[in-house]
Amino acid sequence: MTFLVDTNVIVYAAVPSRYRAACLEILDAVASGRADGRLSTAILEEIWHLERTGRLGDIDGLAEQSYRLFTPLLAVNDEIVARALQLEVPRIGANDRIHVATALLNGIDTIVSADAGLDDARSLRRVDPLDPAERGRLIRG
Amino acid sequence: MFSERLQVLLSPVQRRRLEREAKRRGMSVGALIREAIDARVHTVPAAGRREAVDAIRAFSAGRFVPPEELEQIVGAERETQVGLARARARR
Repeated sequence: MTFLVDTNVIVYAAVPSRYRAACLEILDAVASGRADGRLSTAILEEIWHLERTGRLGDIDGLAEQSYRLFTPLLAVNDEIVARALQLEVPRIGANDRIHVATALLNGIDTIVSADAGLDDARSLRRVDPLDPAERGRLIRG
Repeated sequence: MFSERLQVLLSPVQRRRLEREAKRRGMSVGALIREAIDARVHTVPAAGRREAVDAIRAFSAGRFVPPEELEQIVGAERETQVGLARARARR
């Protein structure tokens, strides 16, 4: 099953938190080909912004390592922006609308994210990285 | 330059899907297949991807920020970048 990986999953794999082991398990599975997680150019940009602010401490190089792990990234193009603008999800911001539209237009119906706000996007199923059963469904073997 | 020829067997349904999508996007079926390869096939070998995860695992000086705060930081950073670009344009 192909799924979108949200910014917070990458960040939480790199910083001490209760999410870290679960997020690293997902990234390990992607690296070994046991999970088909995808990143978009918009999500990579968010990771890069977070790295550059320094507000999460020293995570220098996280965007580059994320790129190495997930390239080729899903492109955000005109069609995706048009779809994002049409989404009827009033409580979801512009960034997340772009992510939802990116997933939908790439035939992806699942996003792994610690952000419960994405539950408002009915067209996309959110998997919390801390849910072992759901996480297991994303990982083969 | 395209020099490699590859023969691939498809089901009639797959062929119709390809042709329909190529027509919708105003491109040839060959161009659509090339685009799909570029979009889907890893350019970093498996060993490189594992090294990337190991590098992420080795980060030790970061701090946890809740998801909603991450979004606010990204938004603020974008505004900062826009502000810097405007300042440069005024100079």
